[in-house]
Amino acid sequence: MGDATTSKPAPIRHLHVGPEFHAEQHIHPEPTSFLRKYVFSMDHKVIAKQFLWYGLFFLAVGGAMAMMLRWQIAYPGTPFPVLGQLIWPQSGGVMPPQSYAAFFTMHGTLMIFFAITPILIGAFGNFLIPLMIGARDMAFPTLNLMSFWTNVVAGLCMIVSFFVPMGAAAGGWQSYPTLSTLVGSPGHGQTLWILGIFFTGSASIMGAVNYITTVVRLRAPGMGYFQMPLSVWGIWLTAILNALFVPVLAAGVLLLFLDRVFGSHFFLAGAAITKGGGDPVLYQHLFWIFGHPEVYILILPAWGIVSDLLSFFSRKPAFGYKATALSMSVITLLSMAVYGHHMFVVGMSPLLSQGFMTLTMLISIPSAVFFLNWLGTMWRGSIRFATPMLFSLGVVFVFGLGGLTGLHLGAISSDIYLHDSYFVIGHFHLTMAASVLLGAFAAIYFWFPKMFGKMMNDTLGKWHFWLTIIPITIVFCGMLVVGYGGMQRRLYNYEAYEFLKHLHPINVWMTRAALLLGASQFLFVGNFLSSLISGKKATENPWEVGTLEWTIPSPPPHHNYDEIPIVLHGPHEFNNPAVAGKDWLAQDEPIDDEPVALGAVGS
Amino acid sequence: MSTAVAVTRFPVPEESRRTSFVGMVMALASWTMLFVALFFAYAVLRLRAPAWPPDGLPPLPKALPFLNTLVLLTSSVVLHFGVRPEAEEKPGALRRALLGALALGSLFLALQLAVWVPLWRSGFRIDTGTYGSIFYSLTVFHAVHVLAGLVALAVLLPGAFSGRLVSGRASTVRLSAMFWHFVDAVWVVMFVAVYLV
Repeated sequence: MGDATTSKPAPIRHLHVGPEFHAEQHIHPEPTSFLRKYVFSMDHKVIAKQFLWYGLFFLAVGGAMAMMLRWQIAYPGTPFPVLGQLIWPQSGGVMPPQSYAAFFTMHGTLMIFFAITPILIGAFGNFLIPLMIGARDMAFPTLNLMSFWTNVVAGLCMIVSFFVPMGAAAGGWQSYPTLSTLVGSPGHGQTLWILGIFFTGSASIMGAVNYITTVVRLRAPGMGYFQMPLSVWGIWLTAILNALFVPVLAAGVLLLFLDRVFGSHFFLAGAAITKGGGDPVLYQHLFWIFGHPEVYILILPAWGIVSDLLSFFSRKPAFGYKATALSMSVITLLSMAVYGHHMFVVGMSPLLSQGFMTLTMLISIPSAVFFLNWLGTMWRGSIRFATPMLFSLGVVFVFGLGGLTGLHLGAISSDIYLHDSYFVIGHFHLTMAASVLLGAFAAIYFWFPKMFGKMMNDTLGKWHFWLTIIPITIVFCGMLVVGYGGMQRRLYNYEAYEFLKHLHPINVWMTRAALLLGASQFLFVGNFLSSLISGKKATENPWEVGTLEWTIPSPPPHHNYDEIPIVLHGPHEFNNPAVAGKDWLAQDEPIDDEPVALGAVGS
Repeated sequence: MSTAVAVTRFPVPEESRRTSFVGMVMALASWTMLFVALFFAYAVLRLRAPAWPPDGLPPLPKALPFLNTLVLLTSSVVLHFGVRPEAEEKPGALRRALLGALALGSLFLALQLAVWVPLWRSGFRIDTGTYGSIFYSLTVFHAVHVLAGLVALAVLLPGAFSGRLVSGRASTVRLSAMFWHFVDAVWVVMFVAVYLV
């Protein structure tokens, strides 16, 4: 009995196989008909690709609209080259004011609900969740299929709305009454917009219910919440916000629909109403109760993905993994209680405004935690500057700028001056557009090999990165400057105002940068398509990382995993001293000199 | 690090049911937020109104909606006793419960019509200010959910009659019943908020 401590048996780690990981996740035979395989597929990987194509299509449409809007701002009254003649022949290719309003409305709507949401949540949510948690598919594959096709119906509503008399919705992407009531928008475009939002919202909720359930129930044995990659954390938190707050938007647009179609009076006020008027500001409440969580819905997947990629390419475990996951969770919670900062100027009670300001400022704390964790992850790492890493660093940069400018808008006193100015546009484009877009590119460059089994061209990717990050910074930082200079958003011709005329040179430079940004996306399109056709064949694990999706072939087989993996390590197991010959360790890979006993308990 | 790993497995059908259960709870949480938002809209408009009901407009009937509340609650109780696990051994319990809930649900819709039609004929319409907007929007939107619930129960009938579906065991029965109870719970809140206070 010399040494009691060494004879103590090693603790047994009980891996809860809560999910029906062997039985309900049967290996379904791969469908053979074209329709079941590529169109109405229930395979999460196929649906992910459908969402990717769908989102990239609307990204191109929304991007082209942005080019035309910038053209009108910098060169008012001059025809937009080539496309202008096709779209507005009656005005000689010049964008008329009504089209300007419709285009900024639809640019925002399409980018948020039909480009960012499908790419990051639809495509990468679908692709990554089952692969990264070691499942064969989503919990509800049929619901997944319905989610995509409901989204297509929504997209069709939006596209059709451009061609109805009086054109598409033109009341801004928020569609505030009275701009969006029959008084402000008598055409059918606004009604179709409502239907489109209702359908895409339903699709988002279906997806969210599926994602949440999949993460809760189908994690492989050993995959606790704190063994999940941060990408899954981000997407999961997004799904929770989607499930709880998209219904509020649905309620808002439902009431707007009733006002427009059935003549109810929810948002109507003033002389038109005789018996007890409604309240246009009510819509703003409903919209922003949804709208503030929505900005986190868009950014959380990108945060998660970047948190993983920074660790992968710095060849170091993510610094403060748990703190990053928890601070993202805290932000998710806080985001539910700050919406009033969008409405400081509507005449809310000052006490309420101050409450919202305080809660908003509180978000800085968890944001600073994970931002510093990003820097800590890279600190003294052996950084590999591959294209996905460059884009991740781009996210760190533009999100830093966007986050700091958010403070000016969260504080009441500065917001009252900056409200409705281009400063707001610059801020939310840096956070929601630039960060999320660069995050989406990082994800595409990183997971393209797993999705399609081919490598993308790294040199072209690097050109694409530099020709994106430089102009995107110029455009959106330029917006901060002109906004600070007093330029209001949504002006068709700002030069009509004497005090804004001196902003002309900077506006012209922003437009030039925007056009360069648009043009450089052709590098991406070319790279994407040529890699798809003739890219170098991808190995199982080209980036040498340890998350589960890289332990199976590229592209993965129909049922993902022959054997459901048993997870033994966290997602960022780099440079473990017990591992010889390589600097990474797969999450389900046992370390040689430690015997792992697998025993089945129960039935 | 040197830990032994023991894998615990649960019986399979129970696991599958739990997964559908988690999904349904999330879906109903989402649905709850939809109604919460609608009630929020009602609360804001009502707080802003100088008087409720507004001057010159009649108060809503209470007796018939109260009766209807009892009808819907009874349907929930009937359904519950048919789908709970203890009912599994009793042949025909599920059939009777489904038929009972369908009959009571239909009676609810009929009584709703009996509330709406006279009010509409008397000139109280959806465009009668926010009062009319709220009354018709909330109650009709809820009735649409009752209809959806009736469809969800009706599609179970063939399985219940053929004996393919047994109460308590098959998750479709349990999930449809959850939706039905949810619709009933929303009605109770609506009855109190719209008709009573």
